[in-house]
Amino acid sequence: MKHPGEYNLALLAGGEAGAFHRFRLDRHVRNCEDCQEKVAEFQALRKHLSDTEFPEVNWNSLAAEMRANIHVGLEAGACVRDTHVAKNWSPQFALAFASLVVLVGAGFFLTDGRLHRMTVSETAAPVLQPTASGIELRKGTDSFAFLDDKEVRTDQSVNAQGAIEARYINDETGSVTITNVLLQQ
Amino acid sequence: MFSCSNKYTWLAAALIAFASPLAAQETALDPANSVKVDLPSDSPLELISKSLGDSRATSRGGAIVLDLHMGLTLRNAGSKHVRGVTLLVTAQEFAPGGKGSVARPSIDVAPGQTFTLPVDIRLVRPVQQTSGPLVHVQLDGVLFDDLTFFGPNKLNSQRALTFWEVEAQRDRAYFKQSLQARGESGLGEEMRKSIARQADRPQLDVSLTRNGRASGSAVPSTDRPVQFAFLNLPDSPVQPLEGWAAISGNEARSPQIEIINHSGKPVKYVEIGWLVKDKQGQEYVAGSVPTSESTMLLPSGQRTRLLQDTALKFSHTGRAIEIEGMTGYVSQVEFADGHVWVPSRHDLDSSPLLRVTAPSPEEQRLADIYSKKGVAALAAELARY
Repeated sequence: MKHPGEYNLALLAGGEAGAFHRFRLDRHVRNCEDCQEKVAEFQALRKHLSDTEFPEVNWNSLAAEMRANIHVGLEAGACVRDTHVAKNWSPQFALAFASLVVLVGAGFFLTDGRLHRMTVSETAAPVLQPTASGIELRKGTDSFAFLDDKEVRTDQSVNAQGAIEARYINDETGSVTITNVLLQQ
Repeated sequence: MFSCSNKYTWLAAALIAFASPLAAQETALDPANSVKVDLPSDSPLELISKSLGDSRATSRGGAIVLDLHMGLTLRNAGSKHVRGVTLLVTAQEFAPGGKGSVARPSIDVAPGQTFTLPVDIRLVRPVQQTSGPLVHVQLDGVLFDDLTFFGPNKLNSQRALTFWEVEAQRDRAYFKQSLQARGESGLGEEMRKSIARQADRPQLDVSLTRNGRASGSAVPSTDRPVQFAFLNLPDSPVQPLEGWAAISGNEARSPQIEIINHSGKPVKYVEIGWLVKDKQGQEYVAGSVPTSESTMLLPSGQRTRLLQDTALKFSHTGRAIEIEGMTGYVSQVEFADGHVWVPSRHDLDSSPLLRVTAPSPEEQRLADIYSKKGVAALAAELARY
C-alpha cells in the first residue's frame, strides 16, 4: 500500500489540507492504522504546542493591542471607501472563471522553470546551510541536500574550506553515520 | 442550441479535462536507471543489495524533486576487519555541483560480515532529458584495523577515517582505564558525564558561502578584523602564532591563521578548531580552518599560513549570534609519513575543549550503548578491542 507522506499527514492533522486533498487522505487514513497513528501523533504535537505558555510574553495584552490597531485601521478604511457588493452572481460564470485560473496556474507552473529561474540561478551564489530536514546546498531554486530521515542528527560542524559535516546516530542500531556536503566553485 | 449558462458549463468541463493531466506527477523511482552504484572490481567490499524504499521522483512545474531513501548493504569480502567506509555521492548535472559523502566510522566488520549504509538525499533541479542516472554512488575509501587503506580517496577519506579511528582508539583506551581503575560504577559515572556534556553543549547553525558576504546577513556590514586567541595544547606538534578574520555582526569572512611546525617531522595537513564567543560570553564551536593547499608540506621549524576564502554566518535557534571573540586550537595534524596527531584526553580535560567541542563518533557510540543497554554491555563492548 502506498502511504501519504508525513508532510501531507501533518496537513491533514492540522485541518490545513485542501478539500479534495483531504478527501483522498481521509479515505486512506480510515483504512490504515499506521497513518492513523501518525495523524494522532501530529494532532497530539499540535495540542502540546498550542498548550505551551511562554511566560515572558503577555499574550492578552498583545492581542488587545492588535485588536485595537485593527479596529482603528478598519474605521479609517471605512471613512475613505465605499463597499460595492456584486448583486448578480452566476455559479456557471464562477465555475468557468475558476477553471480558467486553474489552467493559467497550471500553465505557469508547468512551463520549463529554467526560463523563470535563469536570472536567479546565475546570479545567486551557492549557499551551504543546515535546515530542519538536513544539510542543503542551494543555488537559486536548485538544491541538493542530505536528509536526516530516520536518524537523529547529533552534531554538525563547518569546515571553512567549504563543507558542512553532520553526524547521526541510528536509534535502532546505535551506529554512527557522518555525511558531508561540499560547497563547490 | 446551447443556452448561455450551458456554454459556461461546457467551457468549464473542457478546461478542467484539459488541465487535469498537467497536475504534478509523482512516480516511484526506477532503481535500475535512477541510481548507479560503482564499486571498483578489486574492492574489499561487495554490494549485496540496494534498497530504494519509498524513494520518489516528483515533477513540479519545471523542476524534478528526487527524494532518495536508499540503503546499501555491503559485505566485507576482504581478509581484514573494516574500521570505516566512505562513499562519494554525486548528483549528475546539478548546476552548483551536488557532491557529498556518507561515511561510517567506528565499526568493526569482520571478513564475511555485512552492514548497511543509508543514503538519504533530496535533489531539486530543472527537468531535462538525461541519459545517465540521477545519482552516482562510488566507493571513496575503506580503512582497515591495521590503518591501511583502500580506495580512490578523491575526498581525502583516508585522512578523515584515520583521524576518526585514532580518536576512537584514544577514547576506548580512556574508558577502559576508567573501568580498570574504578570498576563499572566509575565507567558509568564517566558515561553519565559524557551524556550530560553532549546534552548541554550549545550548537550553532552555520551557513557557508564562498568568497563574499553570506546571504541574509542580519547585521550592518561594518567589517572589523578580529584576532584569534589561541589555546596552546602542550603536546601539539604545531603551534598557531597569530590569526584573524573579518567580522561583521554574525558573519565571519576569510579566516587566516599562521602556524609553525614544532615537531621534528614534516607536516602535510593541519586543522585549527574554531570557537566563537557571543556578547553574553557563551562559547560555541564555529567550525574548523584547515590547510588551504592540498599539496602542502611543512618542514620542521617552518611557518605557513592557513587561508580560506569563505564567509560563515552564525545563528543559534534562529537568532543571529553577534561575534565578540574567537579562539583557535590545533585539532588535527597529519604528518608526511601518514601518522596523525589528535589532542589527548588530558589536553581536552585540562581546557574548555571537552565541554565545548563535539565528542568523537566513538564516544557517542559508546554513550549510546551505555544509555540503551547499561554499563555491563558497555564493558563487554570495550573488551572486544
